[in-house]
Amino acid sequence: MRKIKVLHMYADMLDLYGDSGNMEILEYRCKMRGIDFQREKYSAGNDMPDLSSYDLIYIGGGADLEQQHISADLMRCREEMIKAYKSGSFLFLICGGYQLMGKYYRDADGNKIPGLGLFDYYTVAPDSRRMRCIGNIVIRTNIAEEPVNVVGFENHGGQTHNVKTPLGEVLCGSGNRSGGKTEGYFEKNVIATYLHGPMLSKNPEIADYMIKYCLKHSGAEEELTPINDALEKKCRSVMLKRLLKQ
Amino acid sequence: MKRILILIGKIIVKLLRMMKRNAGNLPGIVIWHLSGHKCCSIFKVECPVIAITGTNGKTSVTNCIAKLFESSGKRLIINKEGNNLDTGICSLLLRHCDMSGRVNADLMILETDESHVPVVYSQMKLETLVVLDFFRDQLDRNGEMETLIRKIEGFCKTFSGNLILNGDDPNTARLGRANPDNKNVKYFHAEKYAFATSEIYEASEGRFCPFCGEALSYEYYQYSHIGKFSCEKCGFGTDYEPYVTASDIDLEKHIFTVDGHQYTPRLNSIYNVYNMTAVAAVAKLYNIDRKITEKVISRYTVKNGRMEHFMLGSCQTTLNLAKNPVGANMTLRVMNEMNGEKELLFVLNDNIADGLDVSWIWDINFSIFRDVTRVVTAGTRAYDIAVRIKCSGYDARKIAVRPELDDAVRELASTPGRKFVIANYTAVQPTRAALKRYIAEHGGMSDEKN
Repeated sequence: MRKIKVLHMYADMLDLYGDSGNMEILEYRCKMRGIDFQREKYSAGNDMPDLSSYDLIYIGGGADLEQQHISADLMRCREEMIKAYKSGSFLFLICGGYQLMGKYYRDADGNKIPGLGLFDYYTVAPDSRRMRCIGNIVIRTNIAEEPVNVVGFENHGGQTHNVKTPLGEVLCGSGNRSGGKTEGYFEKNVIATYLHGPMLSKNPEIADYMIKYCLKHSGAEEELTPINDALEKKCRSVMLKRLLKQ
Repeated sequence: MKRILILIGKIIVKLLRMMKRNAGNLPGIVIWHLSGHKCCSIFKVECPVIAITGTNGKTSVTNCIAKLFESSGKRLIINKEGNNLDTGICSLLLRHCDMSGRVNADLMILETDESHVPVVYSQMKLETLVVLDFFRDQLDRNGEMETLIRKIEGFCKTFSGNLILNGDDPNTARLGRANPDNKNVKYFHAEKYAFATSEIYEASEGRFCPFCGEALSYEYYQYSHIGKFSCEKCGFGTDYEPYVTASDIDLEKHIFTVDGHQYTPRLNSIYNVYNMTAVAAVAKLYNIDRKITEKVISRYTVKNGRMEHFMLGSCQTTLNLAKNPVGANMTLRVMNEMNGEKELLFVLNDNIADGLDVSWIWDINFSIFRDVTRVVTAGTRAYDIAVRIKCSGYDARKIAVRPELDDAVRELASTPGRKFVIANYTAVQPTRAALKRYIAEHGGMSDEKN
């Protein structure tokens, strides 16, 4: 039986906007194809696991307070995380998880919270806490076999700069920065994004991209049998129609 | 100046009434602007005020507490329709004051939005504050829950009136420590019921001690994070005796006991037991006659889509509002705790008042479905809730998506058997209307007894 080993980090602290749903969706899509989805959890202060032994590492989004709580713990994981990334583990990062992998995060009070520095981007929160990017968002991405319009929900104060390889182009909403044109960060083994929703609920192509990558990483055959995504696709098309007036 | 504002407010109320418009909020909004954002400060309130706040249950508890005092001959002011912001309360008082702003009442019982407690009661004296619970609710509107709790904590620091707290919710119980000099802090508590669990069952808040950061330990969870908790490190949760305790809770027999007195509520859920225990605490505090309390607790049911009963043709149907995961999880529990097959209609909207974001449905635990033979979904986000239920492992072939409400109700009624309907905030009234339309056309009954 093919299997994927997954580590969900800080599930008890970083779980806003149904972000844990992404795990449930991946698990569901694996189960439908007879793939064993082995999900483990890591909480702040736990013994450090061997991060490179996982095919997928997932970090969700959290409120500012929780994010501060875990940032120190995350620094403890820095070397392990770099090793895992370089050895090809897939990093799936939402919102706070996305920001913390960059160079730094400067909060609304001007405090600079160092990131893990895996990537070159950095995030700056506007001085006013009221200025946030909130709402439905549509981005167009080319990471799947065909270009797809991905729908999600964003709510972030931080503005992320210096993203060289974004996940997609913004068709509706804000993305990395208010008034900017790009959203998220992408490498073949990294999806970092502001999209909640949870993101995978209406975008099965993205979920399958990750599953395929993880299967290959685990040394298994990556081919996936198609499953019935009629509900998911209809769900997305209803929102696209509304948001893009298509 | 205050007199002028009162006059302006009263004229607006009059005009709206003449135009047959609801004066529930608009007069208050105008006064809010004219008064430098202190729209409740223009009144002279000399009577005691009881305020009820919390994420879930405010309306029910407010109405029940009002009923406790109804036969006392006191002149009451109650915001029954749930206009619970400062502007709504201002609009209400404009209708009940004289031209000098003096409020004509012997007692006010006010449901108050969580974030507005400090706003309203820094402008008028509060005698008793009842805090029911704090759950995730519309994060994109309310901001983070911790921010909200801290606001109320700030208020409680200088509040020395009666503070009635849910002692089984760490998020509300912590308010009891805000003002160490306040001797009037009282907690209500409910003993373990049959469906309590030893593990947490639904997404929740408040897993860590607010005072020392240690993970809280639980003897049992009643639902979500409500239960017998304690902090092993600093003793939070063990440092108070409950003022009233609900014991011998038996939902099958519809009974529970408070202070040696048995009650038989018509609404039957652990959720209602907590609400009614809060009501019993207020009754005890104000020395209400036992018989009156018993009558209120045992007769209380609600219309307005809160555990409301219908006969849809020949099908017994229960409609419940769920504006957040806890409310939805509660309905699912009530549904599961009932034997036999049943069907569910879930109506999900994403209008502005709902919060545009619907991801909270992923915090609902659907994997517990027991004997649910079919699901119908409706509303502006009918497909989102369908996908959510499907990914919990429920057979997609048993899910019918009918975005239009009348279609959905017809679909639901197309098979015999027990039905449950869950609708979120802006969906609940249209859903009631659709159920009633079906009943008018095809027969059945709406529960109008109360």
